Amino acid sequence: MKKKILISPIIVFFLILFVFFYLLIIDRNPSELPSVLINKKVPAFETKSLLENKIFVSPNEFRNETTLVNFFATWCKPCRDEHPYLIKLSNEKELKIIGINYKDDSKKAIKWLEKLGNPYSNVLVDSNASLGIDWGVYGLPETFIVNSNGIIKYRLVGPITKKNYHAFVLKVKEVEK
Amino acid sequence: MQRILLAILFYLMTSQIVGINCYSVEPDEFLQNPKKELRARNISKNVRCLVCQNQSIDDSSAPLAKDLRILIRKKIEQDNSDEEIYNFLTERYGDFILLNPPFKISTLFLWILPFVFLGIGIFVIFLHNNKSKKLDYSK
Repeated sequence: MKKKILISPIIVFFLILFVFFYLLIIDRNPSELPSVLINKKVPAFETKSLLENKIFVSPNEFRNETTLVNFFATWCKPCRDEHPYLIKLSNEKELKIIGINYKDDSKKAIKWLEKLGNPYSNVLVDSNASLGIDWGVYGLPETFIVNSNGIIKYRLVGPITKKNYHAFVLKVKEVEK
Repeated sequence: MQRILLAILFYLMTSQIVGINCYSVEPDEFLQNPKKELRARNISKNVRCLVCQNQSIDDSSAPLAKDLRILIRKKIEQDNSDEEIYNFLTERYGDFILLNPPFKISTLFLWILPFVFLGIGIFVIFLHNNKSKKLDYSK
């Protein structure tokens, strides 16, 4: 009986050690937050379009097809890394992608898109981060998958990369079903 | 002479420390009305900066923290109540944005577990005491 009592703290210690070690080695980002907007309607907003002289009115434009909403800026380095994958998504998968140019210089953004190519069906201007706050954005880039009923189904914080591209495409397909 | 130098050095060091501790709210953000400004400060102290995550937006100099501070002041100017402002933020960023988590079903364990552990602790000590009372040390 006494021996058992002596051993139990050691067992508990190793159990805790195991849990910590497990959390350390699995692929996860502890500062990543789940979005509270999942399964909710897209926020209502009105804003200017960067390339066209038109006003974009929010829930109305999210009908009929699955849409990606991508927050980006020219000052954001990971956005540049992500850009080729957005072009791939728009060309190969023929996805509708709406870009939101977050706290950026519009002239720079236009030049950036001319140079790197434009995967977006529409680019919206968010000069004072108000759209970013409405969508719960806290770090660029962020990409949302919105289904054909205008419901947000998924959010990716951070860039689409070679590593997560296929997983992301699968997520899109899941939403399209 | 040495003492004066030391005093100057000490002053420089401590003023530096104070400088580091001062808040990140910039003067151009302040509201004219001191009462409203105080409300804004109190709300900001309870709102987490999601970029640095262990700081409030009142302490953080991250751009998002600044945007949120300005937004809170705008909402106060528009006569929104504190609760309306907190609701606005949690609707977009979740309860995680509050540094003081609310008491809800999803946070029940968070609030109750410390008391459960306290109960277990008291129980263990009680058992231990009872056992040692039964032992007869005189033999």
